[in-house]
Amino acid sequence: MTRNLKEIHSYLPTLATQLAEGKVSRREFLRTSTLLGLSAASAYAMVGLPDQGIASKAYAATGGTVRMSMRVQPIESPHTYSWIQDSMMSRNVIEYLTLTGSDNVTRPWLCEKWEASDDLKVWTLHLRQDVKWSNGEPFVADHVIWNIKRCLDPAVGSSVLGLMKGYMMNDAGDALWDANAVEKVDDHTVRLNARAAQLAVPEHFFHYPFPMMHPSSEGKFPGIGSIGTGWAEIVEYELGKKCVVKKKPGYWHGDGALDSVEYIDHGDDPAAAVAALTSGQVDGIWQVEATQLAAVRKLSHVTLYEATTAQTAVARMQPIHDTWKDPRVRKAMRLAIDTPKVLQVAYLGLGEPAEHHHVAPVHPEYAKLPFMAQDIEGAKKLLADAGLPNGFETELFCNADQDWEPRAANAMAEMWKQIGVNVKVTVLPGAQYWEIWDKETAPFAFTTWTHRPLGVMVLGLAYRTGVPWNESKWSNAKFDELLSQAEGTLDVEKRREVVEEIEILMQEEGPIVQPLWRSVFAAMDKKVQGFQAHPTQYVFPWDWSLA
Amino acid sequence: MVSFFAKRFGALILTMLIVSFLVFITFEFSPGDVARNALGPFATEVQLEKYRQEFGLNRPFMARYLSWLGVAPNHKGEISGLLQGNFGYSTLWKTQVNTFVWDRILNTALLAGVAFAVIAPLSIILGVAAGMREGSLLDRVVSVLSAITTSIPEFAMGAFLVTIFVVGFRILPGTAPLETGGGGWSIASQLVLPVATLTAYYLGYLVRMVRASMVEVMTRPYIRTAVLKGLTFRGVVMKHAIRNALITPFTAILLQLNFLFTSVVVVETVFGFPGFGRMLVEAALYKDVLTVETATLFAVFVVVITQVIGDLSYMLLNPRIRFS
Repeated sequence: MTRNLKEIHSYLPTLATQLAEGKVSRREFLRTSTLLGLSAASAYAMVGLPDQGIASKAYAATGGTVRMSMRVQPIESPHTYSWIQDSMMSRNVIEYLTLTGSDNVTRPWLCEKWEASDDLKVWTLHLRQDVKWSNGEPFVADHVIWNIKRCLDPAVGSSVLGLMKGYMMNDAGDALWDANAVEKVDDHTVRLNARAAQLAVPEHFFHYPFPMMHPSSEGKFPGIGSIGTGWAEIVEYELGKKCVVKKKPGYWHGDGALDSVEYIDHGDDPAAAVAALTSGQVDGIWQVEATQLAAVRKLSHVTLYEATTAQTAVARMQPIHDTWKDPRVRKAMRLAIDTPKVLQVAYLGLGEPAEHHHVAPVHPEYAKLPFMAQDIEGAKKLLADAGLPNGFETELFCNADQDWEPRAANAMAEMWKQIGVNVKVTVLPGAQYWEIWDKETAPFAFTTWTHRPLGVMVLGLAYRTGVPWNESKWSNAKFDELLSQAEGTLDVEKRREVVEEIEILMQEEGPIVQPLWRSVFAAMDKKVQGFQAHPTQYVFPWDWSLA
Repeated sequence: MVSFFAKRFGALILTMLIVSFLVFITFEFSPGDVARNALGPFATEVQLEKYRQEFGLNRPFMARYLSWLGVAPNHKGEISGLLQGNFGYSTLWKTQVNTFVWDRILNTALLAGVAFAVIAPLSIILGVAAGMREGSLLDRVVSVLSAITTSIPEFAMGAFLVTIFVVGFRILPGTAPLETGGGGWSIASQLVLPVATLTAYYLGYLVRMVRASMVEVMTRPYIRTAVLKGLTFRGVVMKHAIRNALITPFTAILLQLNFLFTSVVVVETVFGFPGFGRMLVEAALYKDVLTVETATLFAVFVVVITQVIGDLSYMLLNPRIRFS
């Protein structure tokens, strides 16, 4: 077994030993071993568990239709999707190279397996040979290369570019760093030759704007008639109203059990979706708001699913402004917050209090520090040391789209008053908020961040010097150095040691106040089998059946 | 008559022009970037600029407005705007406005039409019944109920009705997506709660108006004369009171059509109804100016047309009023 593991990746035997010695948890083993190319089934077998991340294919019955309440939005340009729900309908038709299951473990999907070099710079993707497009063509390496290059073309505008820029693009970010960066080995093998070590390549291939499209599509996805490799085809699509996907035979993963799935648009009011679920007009809601939980719990025919996630929101302070320049002021803002109380007030206690460093307990490299509890006196002292004994006044911008965010912002504003900091909370409609979220015109703003499977992924996206999504404009050489070190460290224990330093640095000097990690919820009629709540709220209807 | 219609038509065009300009200028100076909305929060400046160029958003305000009207070339050098029947491209729905707006308008017309068909006769019946015997038990009951239903906001009334009939008795569907698949609910059954909510909110106002008019008419000398002539009470009400009592409220009743059409956003949101009002709000929040323009012009059209119909009807009811 050890020899076999070593053939997959040189680090796997060490990881297996660490598992046996109890130095890494089962979850950490699953995550890291699968990232290094071990199949999820093998990884689960090694920890003595059945594969839990994807539903069983043993259907209770076949046939039938499941109806979901979901916005039916424009789906025409998958590589530039801006929101997760954009991809919900198209993922029935166009699929991803990998799939991160509800257990936060990433598995091969359109690729059969992958291999990573010891230095994590060379990733070899072996594609499945039994996959065919709906037009009958086989799925081959040229198609994958076309998709990767298209998503990395700045002119296309895909957010994939932001994820892969650091290790696939040149310094200017306008071209691949090397002509051979994306290499065709043979018809079913593609190799990425990265300029920098990157642990999360398989995760990146499951980024929602990164589906594999047929090159003849030129990146357009009209819905009805679109070419794909998925289990179904879109047979009806009415913007803002309804989308119907219907099973097609011969799916490489085994035919789905359902005949069709219908997505019904009930608008933005979450109460409407719950009313539809109550009266049986839909069988499920992909996202249940916290305010609707009490109503959903009363529905005897419905199961409420919860996923623990790394979804959060952070009040980021831009140290480029005088108010936030002094790290003592930023730390004082953190110490003023009673995070368990904010969690209770803003999100009914459904999640975990956060610790102001943006690494979640669900992340494998999370290092547990002494809890950073509210310390009003300590915060006042820091402010006094920073020359602000009487506090100051400032403005916090907040997004109105999710109702828990203004509640959290207002709860924190009340707590900041205790240290003499008067914060005016300005709640903006989403459209306006997203215009200023990363701008210097908003020195203090409360931004939501979605779940990412690895802690280093979000740290790299949000806090590395100069990256596009560094909304806080924070720049810390020590942090950058530690983060690069963590990203290139396979050993979870060693990576956790590095991340621990990062967490401490974030708590002491970082640019954020982070009140909570929130759980997410989905609801499904009990007759629907095979549904699993996903931390990023993706749904996989090809695994569902009706009881 | 011709002069009357010509004047009204001229006023309609002028109103539409002014409103369209006001909407355009309001959106121009309101915060929010169309490109940012379309491409999402994580788009880079390069991508945003490319989008602005592609849709001509960098052009001066007046140039964009005039090309939308169809009197000046657009950023592609084509004259293709409102006058040519092209409402433009929706940045929210990422398609031509023409392709979805009519469906939404028809849906709302259905909802508003059914609600009007319930509200108009019911308000007359209840208003007359209450007003013909001022101070009676029926009058008091109708007046109190009218005051209650009118004072409950639509979103609250919608929630109450859902709680009672969907959660409690389970005899009606909770939403009206106009889809018959889920749960086997017919379109008609889906319309019940939205129509009931609209009816509850708008009925009370009209009932009170008809009642007040009826009360006033019942005190007029010609009613007393009719009674003294020996006519039955029923005869007095039917032959002399109702027609006169309806002259004033009739215009208000007709105007409910445009209120219903342009103010159904709350009901459409509560019941997930794919209508014109929900579309308008979503477009406005997204700064999708061309969808808002189209919707607004249609709303203006409905308002003016119902006013014209109201004027004509008023003249038919009251011969003393003439086209002049």
